[in-house]
Amino acid sequence: MQENSSLCTPSEHRISRRKLLGATGAAIGAAGLGGLVQPAIADELTKKDRQVLFVWIDGGMSQLESWDPKPNTRFGGPFRTIRTSVPGIEISELMPQSARQMHHLAVVRSLCTQDNSHSAGVARIQRGDPKNRGVTYPYFGSAVANLMGPGHSKLPAYVWIKPGSGGFIHEDAGFLGPKYGALAFGDGKPPENLLRPESVSAAEDDARQELRELMNARYAHRRRPLVSDANKYVFDTAKTLMHRRELFDESSFSVRDRERYGTHDFGRHMLIGRKMLEAGVRFVKVNSYGWDTHGDNFNAHLNLMPKFDQAFSAIIEDLAASGMLDHVLVIAMSEFGRTPRINGHIGRDHWPEAWSLVMSGCGVKRGVVVGKTNHEGTFVDSEPFDIGHMFHTWFRALGINSGTVEYDNNGQPLPIAHDDHHACDEVLA
Amino acid sequence: MPVPATDLLARSLVLLIALSWLAWDAPPLKGETPLHQRIDLIIAEKAGGSLAEQATDAEFLRRICLDFAGRVPTSTEVKDFLLDKRADKRTAMIDRLLADTRYADRMTDLFNIMLIERRSKHEEWLKFLKESFAANKPWDQMTREILAPDVDNESNRGSAMFYTARLEHYGQNPPDVPGLVRDVGRMFLGVDVQCAQCHDHLFVNDYKQADYQGLYAFVGTATLRTDLKFPAVSENPLLQKIAFKSVFASDEMKTGPRLPGGNEVEIPAITKGQEYLVPPDKKLKTPGVLKFSPMRVLAETLPRKDNPAFAKNIVNRLWWMMMGRGLVDPLDLHHSDNPPSHPELLDLLASEITAHAFDIKWLLRELALSETYQRSTILPDEAAARAPLATYRAALERPLSPTQLLESLLRATGQPVHDAKSVAELRDRFDKAFANPPKEPEVSVAPTVKGALFFSNDAVVVAWFDRQENNTVDRLSQLSDAVALVDEAYLTILSRVPTELERTDAVRFLKDFAGPRERAISHLTWAMASSTEFFVNH
Repeated sequence: MQENSSLCTPSEHRISRRKLLGATGAAIGAAGLGGLVQPAIADELTKKDRQVLFVWIDGGMSQLESWDPKPNTRFGGPFRTIRTSVPGIEISELMPQSARQMHHLAVVRSLCTQDNSHSAGVARIQRGDPKNRGVTYPYFGSAVANLMGPGHSKLPAYVWIKPGSGGFIHEDAGFLGPKYGALAFGDGKPPENLLRPESVSAAEDDARQELRELMNARYAHRRRPLVSDANKYVFDTAKTLMHRRELFDESSFSVRDRERYGTHDFGRHMLIGRKMLEAGVRFVKVNSYGWDTHGDNFNAHLNLMPKFDQAFSAIIEDLAASGMLDHVLVIAMSEFGRTPRINGHIGRDHWPEAWSLVMSGCGVKRGVVVGKTNHEGTFVDSEPFDIGHMFHTWFRALGINSGTVEYDNNGQPLPIAHDDHHACDEVLA
Repeated sequence: MPVPATDLLARSLVLLIALSWLAWDAPPLKGETPLHQRIDLIIAEKAGGSLAEQATDAEFLRRICLDFAGRVPTSTEVKDFLLDKRADKRTAMIDRLLADTRYADRMTDLFNIMLIERRSKHEEWLKFLKESFAANKPWDQMTREILAPDVDNESNRGSAMFYTARLEHYGQNPPDVPGLVRDVGRMFLGVDVQCAQCHDHLFVNDYKQADYQGLYAFVGTATLRTDLKFPAVSENPLLQKIAFKSVFASDEMKTGPRLPGGNEVEIPAITKGQEYLVPPDKKLKTPGVLKFSPMRVLAETLPRKDNPAFAKNIVNRLWWMMMGRGLVDPLDLHHSDNPPSHPELLDLLASEITAHAFDIKWLLRELALSETYQRSTILPDEAAARAPLATYRAALERPLSPTQLLESLLRATGQPVHDAKSVAELRDRFDKAFANPPKEPEVSVAPTVKGALFFSNDAVVVAWFDRQENNTVDRLSQLSDAVALVDEAYLTILSRVPTELERTDAVRFLKDFAGPRERAISHLTWAMASSTEFFVNH
């Protein structure tokens, strides 16, 4: 009996991607370009200009060393709890700065998800783990890019600041098509070829681009619009990025901000993320790596948590102070939590059964904890929420009715979040 | 003088008889009608609206040069062609390009991208393709050589890369055997049965799990040979049928090697230990010769005249190459719920290429001669903008492969021909900027931000627009008359004469530019070369 080794890569998803890519595909018009059933909604959402900061804690942050500590229990570990700015809510002592921002935060302690492997789990969580319909769903960033568009800034809608190398991460977009993939800035650095060569001055560049646009307009006349539109879109985006080079200029950050966010990678990246949000990027993802603490969990968290705490609390504080928190949805989460049971290497393993995430910002209640786990933190002791519930919740927080809005995958209507799940009303403002 | 009624009647009768005789004679007459005219009749019949005019001579020349030579014509070639007064100059150009050595280069580029989808590279594979197209090897023969590569034949053993590209470790991923099974179906039969691997296809009723498993039986035992410096595979013995289960059902099913919709090949009863004619030799690392080789059986069974799927797949792919869209679209989803836009045309092309012994060049010539191919991309009217692409009322804009783009840009900017190593480096540079990611088909125009930034700012490309001895900017800089300069720039880069408006725009740009004249010329040529018009085959 042979193994069914590779994942299905359904052709239906490819058809749609090719067609969405435009050009010679058959899908013309709003549905084909946007993949959205009701294009009017996109217009309305653009006006609201809601944005997302998605902090991805790759590898699995321990809920017991962060948002759901269980001190003095069998699995609780060595750390104590501390009080927060919200009376009655306590979190791990490893997060003193975040504790001061608790009145802006909403913690969900009752996540119960389906996958305990990294390789599948990361994509599964970020794609919202919908019902399997044989199509590859978009990551949350691609979903927002598609449903809400780039907004007034004209900057790429889904930007990802990550350690390592950058590029155009088209896979994130799934069936929506590469256009909705992530524009990744490796280590916050600009994409290749962003800088104009020294031989061409800014004025010269404007002149040659203007002439190119004039020629394109003449060419487009009396031809089908798809190819010309697609070409215009990519040159316009390239131009916007080139004109916004300051987005990648870290020298503009004040010494104070650099110290507040931390001089480590995560702090720097979060600060660049703030700049991207201020510039109007629709969806900013910032990554923190290295959380897979199968061995020496407590020392590892002692090392990792302060960096997270520092940068995360700093951006919450700043977004709140500037008023941006009213229209920016902030989410910080991993692909799963960590086992309450402490293994032989003083580590914690993968635990999707009961874990936590934190949210803040637009559409979300401030200073609340939703759901709870049992005494030892092993299982959820309230209504369990899967990632599908969270997708509904986030879409609602962004003003998208996840019960009625659908994707149009080349004629196949697809729900934007798991059909059997619903938004978590307790956390919505 | 009034014509008597009887006379009228008689005349009508004669006419009727004549007409009916003509009608009776239609089949043989039709048989003599060249294929390209029959194509045009079918397209016109189903167009459902007005058709675009025939492309201008300049548009035709650029198009046919890109298709058969893989690059735009030189300004001299354009001028010569425009001045040529012969009525059959288009046909003559088609024949000249098909006879030129560039034809094999262009087809190698196209089939390499199509069959390998950027998984891997090897000189011997490219050599196999190039020599095959240079000799106009029939497609059935090429397919046989790909599906059962002969490791001992130095001239075509590189054909094994179709297999090896899927069997190589790709990053941390294991050999992609399901991908290989799938691609045998996609590339040679136009069916994508991968989603029927674990169960019957959920959306395509024609694709059964047994189809996937039947193809799997042919190539599932193929293994990569790592002892040789060129692409090579061997296969393990297949002693019994493949057993499989649907994830939705519990009964076990079995199949031997079988093409989708075809008959199962019987696996001969061979006792274990007796599988080889020549046993493998571990010392010499030779894989041995199997008594029953499923791969050889596949190569004998699949590319046959009595396998309509084989002919339909290749004509559909050649139609896509020339017309910008498959009669069946996507190219690898031939099935009854996704019918061709013109079923009778697909049948006609398939039966014709079969009758012409799978002669690719012959079919391409007929396609190129058709009015459908030679139509302008400029829409005949507003309604045509909303007409389905498959009506072919105007020609469709088609993507340039990164290599077509590079070769065209080298010509347009007048860059001297580089040595082989520099050309290879430039190809890599352009592939990186413009190619789809591996395993993604490159079938339609798909501009990217990466490509736009590359075109605008890549140091190597930008330098081609600086004045250098004998390059295009240098040549144009020596023309003192602005109109003559603009005309020559249009001929060199966009392969046509500018319109009055375009000429005025460009002359004004040169005049108004605040800076040295040669810089203005640099920017004028850059704007032309980075325009949509240059970026596509229109």
